[in-house]
Amino acid sequence: MLGLPLSFMAPIVLAGLVALPALWWLLRVTPPRPQRIAFPPLKLMADLLPKRETPARTPWWLLALRMLIAALVILAVAGPVFNPQGGQESASREPLVLLVDNGAASARDWAGRVQLAESLIAGAGRDGRAVALAGLAEPAASLALGTPAEAEDRLRALALRPHMPDRSAHLADLQSLLAVAPGSDVAWISDGVRLEADDAFSRRLTELARNGRVTVHAASAPTMLFLTDVENLASSLNVRVVRAQPGAPSTVNLRASDQRGIVLGETTTLLPASATETTASFALPIEVRNAVTRIEIVGERSAGAVLLVDDSAKRRRVGLVTGVTADVAQPLLSPTYYLSRALGPFADIREPRPGISDPIGQLLDQNLSVLMLADVGGIDKDTTARITAFMERGGVLVRFAGPRLAAASDDLTPVRLRRGGRSLGGALSWDAPKTLAPFNREGPFAELSTREEVTVTRQILAEPDGELSRKVWASLVDGTPIVTAERRGAGLVVLFHVTADTTWSSLPLSGLFVDMLKRIVALAGAAAADIGQTGEARVETVSPVTVLDGQGAFRSPPATARPVPRTYADRAVHAHPPGFYGPRNATLAINTLKTGDRPAAIDFAASGLTTRAIEAPQARDLRPPLLVLALLLLAADTLATLWLGGRLKAMTRARAVAASLLLAVLASGAAGLHAGPAKAQTPTQAPAQVAPPAATQGTTVPVPREQVAAAATTRLAFVLTGDRRVDDTSKAGLEGLTLALSTRTALEPGEPVGVDPSRDELGLFPILYWPIVAGRPQPGAETMRRLDAFMKGGGFVIFDTRDADAQRSGRATPEGDHLKQMLSIVDVPELEPVPRDHVLTKTFYLIDGFPGRYDRGQTWVEVLPPPGPDGRGPARAADGVSPIVITSNDLAAAWATDRRGGPLFPLQGSSPRQREMSLRGGINLVMYALTGNYKADQVHVPALLERLGQ
Amino acid sequence: MVKTTVLTPSQRSPGARDSEQGIALSHRLPRLALEARRVSAFVNGVHGRRKAGPGETFWQYRMLTPGEASSGIDWRRSARDSKLYVREREWEASHTIWMWADRSASMGFASSLAQAPKVDRALVLALALADALVDGGERVGLLGLTRPLASRRIIERLVEHIAGDVAGMDADLPPARAIGRLDEAVLISDWLTPLDKVLAALGSIGVQGGRGHLVMIIDPVEESFPFAGQAELLDLESDLRLDVGDANAWGKDYRVRIAAHRDAIAAACRKLGWTFTLHHTDRNASEAALRLAGLISSSRDMRAA
Repeated sequence: MLGLPLSFMAPIVLAGLVALPALWWLLRVTPPRPQRIAFPPLKLMADLLPKRETPARTPWWLLALRMLIAALVILAVAGPVFNPQGGQESASREPLVLLVDNGAASARDWAGRVQLAESLIAGAGRDGRAVALAGLAEPAASLALGTPAEAEDRLRALALRPHMPDRSAHLADLQSLLAVAPGSDVAWISDGVRLEADDAFSRRLTELARNGRVTVHAASAPTMLFLTDVENLASSLNVRVVRAQPGAPSTVNLRASDQRGIVLGETTTLLPASATETTASFALPIEVRNAVTRIEIVGERSAGAVLLVDDSAKRRRVGLVTGVTADVAQPLLSPTYYLSRALGPFADIREPRPGISDPIGQLLDQNLSVLMLADVGGIDKDTTARITAFMERGGVLVRFAGPRLAAASDDLTPVRLRRGGRSLGGALSWDAPKTLAPFNREGPFAELSTREEVTVTRQILAEPDGELSRKVWASLVDGTPIVTAERRGAGLVVLFHVTADTTWSSLPLSGLFVDMLKRIVALAGAAAADIGQTGEARVETVSPVTVLDGQGAFRSPPATARPVPRTYADRAVHAHPPGFYGPRNATLAINTLKTGDRPAAIDFAASGLTTRAIEAPQARDLRPPLLVLALLLLAADTLATLWLGGRLKAMTRARAVAASLLLAVLASGAAGLHAGPAKAQTPTQAPAQVAPPAATQGTTVPVPREQVAAAATTRLAFVLTGDRRVDDTSKAGLEGLTLALSTRTALEPGEPVGVDPSRDELGLFPILYWPIVAGRPQPGAETMRRLDAFMKGGGFVIFDTRDADAQRSGRATPEGDHLKQMLSIVDVPELEPVPRDHVLTKTFYLIDGFPGRYDRGQTWVEVLPPPGPDGRGPARAADGVSPIVITSNDLAAAWATDRRGGPLFPLQGSSPRQREMSLRGGINLVMYALTGNYKADQVHVPALLERLGQ
Repeated sequence: MVKTTVLTPSQRSPGARDSEQGIALSHRLPRLALEARRVSAFVNGVHGRRKAGPGETFWQYRMLTPGEASSGIDWRRSARDSKLYVREREWEASHTIWMWADRSASMGFASSLAQAPKVDRALVLALALADALVDGGERVGLLGLTRPLASRRIIERLVEHIAGDVAGMDADLPPARAIGRLDEAVLISDWLTPLDKVLAALGSIGVQGGRGHLVMIIDPVEESFPFAGQAELLDLESDLRLDVGDANAWGKDYRVRIAAHRDAIAAACRKLGWTFTLHHTDRNASEAALRLAGLISSSRDMRAA
């Protein structure tokens, strides 16, 4: 339509557009509803007929709006579809051969691939072409041409497979098909990933379709991530994240979960732009690491991004005990040195603490999987029993020969050893060192190859025995056993007939030693139950128990899944989908990729193939946006009609807000409809936009110099009331207190300062002395809020009403009223007179009261929390320093001294030491404010003294 | 846009709210002015008629005329003399003010420009005046409903009677009940009735020579008609409705007509010797109350003179 790729599902409805002019006329003569006005004087005016009866015209813009709505609705009902043909132009009439990669590497955009295939089949259907369809991850079956409907059915049945496609298997079929229909177009919807070293399939495909009609639909760069190569190292569980081609740097989140799906750990690794692989490691405790059975890339719904972990990757705990006296200075001579170096990469090594009396017992307590005894001779009965029990439970005992073992006799060996008078002679010596014979095919070392450089100079010999040959895992070229093993209960005992160090053989220096140990350690636990039967030449097959589907989720095995031998170590194929095989406690994990697999990108250009994008051009239904737009316009029309009818202003404000909110929601909904795809393309932009505000928060405000000076030294501060006499007294009093503090305590405060709480920063002063003057104006609410914040932020305020002499019982003084009014908006805690055991009475001096110029006034502090549940006194002064002290004793007047240190004001009180006591009280107040309640411990003093017997 | 509201009949009946407002307003009226006039003209709350008659205050002794009942003889005075005297008291009679407030449907109307519906304003005015007048020693009655009352709880009494008067809910005009020659009537309504009917009603009330005060309560909308565009006008008392295509144009004619109606009523009042007070509901009720109190007092003086 109009050159646009636009078509209508019901074009007949468009005829309705013709009716628009009629609608115009109809709308024009239907005016908005008149306003109804109740009007009492009407009865007087009934004869006053209106002069002009013509109704108000519908405004043209309202008409236009309504016409637009009608047009939009008609258009929407006609079902416009944008780009319905999918842009698959094809002039050919030849059959179409559609090859679809449905392996693990297609998982990410599988739906898009299916859509592309559908549109290709639909295009072929429109052109009347025959179609053949093959999923390349399916087993090869005869490829036959059929109708597009059949191909569509087959496509619907085509599932995403969890294994990598074996494309070459389909070449023969393809060849035979192309022989029948030589002119066919071949379309390959490829995942762009190969595992084979060379790209045989692409080349062969080009050759087969000689007319060059091969189209490859593939993403420009395969971005699928795979997991492979799990390693359980000493401190972490490592796994490789690989991809076929370097690309954008991406942060990969991995999750490890156990058999029941409980997440055990998460980790993040960064895949750099230039790299195709990186290592992610889970730093987890070993017990947790061993429980991991499944590692997956979060957000990557693909079997390739799931790595199943079986027992072989579990990290065993190996206990090492040597009978040799450890010579710490020469570690290379220690038999355990080679063992711990060899075991270190794949096992968790435990050694007994030096000097312990029962090293084996101590290690067995640590829940070992494997116990290695390097040249341990005399084992006492109890320990023997424990080791036997350990093996019965599935433990593996590995013993290494040596002088002590040769001398000892116990039954913790797989074979009877020659000892007695020939015991020493049991360690033979040869003229020429012997090398190892090829390994027994049935033993666990079957896959290892012997090394020439391994030589044995001494060994312990076994008693010849009918059973002996079944117990031998490795032997020397002359047939004498070098490694023997025997099953004991669920466990195993393995004997190396050489030492663990290099004195008898060079085996510990060889890489073979590591491999041998690795295999032995892997036998520990339940797996030993199967391979422990070494003599029986039987490789057990295990059946699939749970397998992965294409999306990487567990499912029950399909009918096509076949059992595998336990030694299966290849990547998953169609008959053996990735999953867990075998019984629950001895599972074998098969993964999409085998260890060492590195997917590579297929270079289509090198094979002469052209590629197209994978996206199927999406036919877009334009109905929803049109209808939403019409709805929005309808809402606008309603509002306009209301406005014309004079009802809009009558709406309450809240209703108007609600209406506009509704509009906004509708509008955003409509916007969301359109903005959906755009949003999905830029998910990484969001964090970058958040960052700048955080950076701007660090701007600093210059601090006034007087504040810096005030903060540099600790000072006492008093509030300037505006009453000169009181301010002078406060200043003199605090000076006197400062002097007393400097002479008597470790605190040397600076000059006291007067502050104006409405202006000055209070937070710089630990103590604020606030004399109350009745006549002065009340500080503002803002000031009191600042004071509140000061008190809550750890400040300490002494309010002094200075009216103890004027107080009479039951009558408020002007200063008291002033203070009460002032504090009415401050969050003042509950107050009480200072209790006798309050920490204030013992922060520096032990005092009873806080006299000032008067000694009658009560001193109030915050109520202490109630005693602890045990009812003991000490818990009283738990924590929390009172932020406020209210007194009426005119403290400053008592502290005030003139320049020569003489008192400024006479005191009113009975005690001759009142001035001294008031200073002590002041010092206690300052100490309380500065040190908090640590002196609360003083309440323990009576108990301590009593305990000391004084 | 001006919004209008119409009250239901139950809302047009006086309630506690009107009573309270009436009391409050009466308490705000300038007591002093009434007080001063009472000193000169009122005795014990009643008006001395400056001649002998039933009353409590001594007026004069006069000789007993033959044939007069002996019970009138003042024996104490007569004992000092050989003649018989009769003690005469000054004729005292209190004034009666008749109140009437329109409570018809047209009064239950308020626009968003007004402070209160018209009926509220009318009732508040009537009650406040009644309270103030009774305080000042007058007797107040509801025209056609009650006898003149001088109760201390005059507002409650009046409210009871008004609330009980169901027929008055539809009456557009005051009942045609003649008041005494010396009585006064305070008639509060919107007077949105054809002029001849108003004149007839006033004539029948004042047939014995009583005078009165006419209060016209109007909503500001009724005067200015601030509507525009297409409108449908509804009458409250009849089913009358009028479609007005262009309210603005219609309003021009309307304003002329309503002004003429108002002026005609005012002129008729002047001719009858009545006073005319115009009160807009967007103004405070105290304005009208003050004016009415002043008018009643001055008419009293006029008559006393």
